[in-house]
Amino acid sequence: MGARVAIGTVKGGFLLRLHGKGNTTLEGPFFKGWKVTSFAQDHKGTYLVGTASDVYGTALQRSQDLRKFKQVEQGPAYPQDGKRKLNQIWRILATRDALWAGVDEAGLFRSLDGGMSWHPVEGLNEHETRSAWQPGAGGLCAHAILAHPTDPNRLYCGISAVGTFRSDDGGATWEPKNDGVPVILEDAEHKGIGYCVHALVLDPDEPDTIYRQDHRGMYKSTDAADTWVPIENGLRERSFGFPIAVDPKTRALFCVPLESDEYRMPSEGKLRVFRSTDRGDSWHPLTRGLPQDNAYGGVLRSALTTDDGSGVYLGTTSGTFHYSTDAGESWNKLDAIFPRILTVQAFGEE
Amino acid sequence: MVPRVDIRLPSVMEPVVGGELRFHVEAATLRDALDAAISRHPALEVHLFDETGSFRRHVLCFHNETNSRWLDGLDGKVEDGDTVTILQAVTGG
Repeated sequence: MGARVAIGTVKGGFLLRLHGKGNTTLEGPFFKGWKVTSFAQDHKGTYLVGTASDVYGTALQRSQDLRKFKQVEQGPAYPQDGKRKLNQIWRILATRDALWAGVDEAGLFRSLDGGMSWHPVEGLNEHETRSAWQPGAGGLCAHAILAHPTDPNRLYCGISAVGTFRSDDGGATWEPKNDGVPVILEDAEHKGIGYCVHALVLDPDEPDTIYRQDHRGMYKSTDAADTWVPIENGLRERSFGFPIAVDPKTRALFCVPLESDEYRMPSEGKLRVFRSTDRGDSWHPLTRGLPQDNAYGGVLRSALTTDDGSGVYLGTTSGTFHYSTDAGESWNKLDAIFPRILTVQAFGEE
Repeated sequence: MVPRVDIRLPSVMEPVVGGELRFHVEAATLRDALDAAISRHPALEVHLFDETGSFRRHVLCFHNETNSRWLDGLDGKVEDGDTVTILQAVTGG
């Protein structure tokens, strides 16, 4: 096998290469001292990287090789009226016709010129419920963006702690879609929001099926987010967590439950990835090769990912990195200690 | 003759300015010097100033030995050989 995995931490980015037979090489840090918060690659092969600093603010970078970077001068930005601040670029998604960026303070931006200039998606950013949007513990952030694989008009955006929104007109208008999920911050006026979605993934075969790791548990929708039902068989009390990922090859789902929203670390000091091979009907723990003693680092919402070669990759808040090359059956720990890992993104071979 | 001012940036800015952490600009005022630095490296602007147009909270700008926050704005004159230094405020433990 061969795979490249980009790792974003609070103190820089790294590029891991897996050459097979356990051989790995690691490049970096790039953007040393900066948070590296998101990675994506567009259809022309250009990488987009979100960077941030508590001191120096947030910017979007473009790169052809993840070695040399050029900052996008007209990147996602709020007007200079001081009303909103751009704190972090959480998610970048490339669709056929556009690039999308979800940010904190919550908002969605779109580029129609390959990422050179970005414009706010007003239909979401100025949504009629906006005044009632409240942050979660991780901030008020638009962290999930999904695009229907064949219908360019259908998009989803997940915002904490507001909920999941759907657009059926290419992003012009958006509607909250959270029926079936318990509300967490109920608003007196706007009943459709106040939901703490943590992560979203689309089913690779059924584009109206979406899986949702929520603050209140694991959920599935088979009707394009109109309604949600819990899918927690096997997760039991461990349904709180942040990331969810799907293996595009085996269709397996992966999540990393934590011990409740109160504690937010693996239960019993055991780092367990849970896998579902039946589209969420049941979940089973994967432990082979993962630390089962004294492991208290959690996995953030963007720090679990898959590739198309049965690779599964995760980074922890403790800076350890674990990977599987067999769809989660067994795991290896990279011989490295990173800063707190914020995001992990797998890319194909060069 | 327009004064020549030395701009100094913190090392963490290296990827933002392609490694050029020290350079000279020609400017008559502190504001002109900052504008000239941004003109040379447009990517700098978003890192120095926030959505109100003010310096970011933890960004310090020194004109020679004087913190710009103690100056009466940025319109004071600069002289040939002056230094404008960007620093990160030391906050937290």
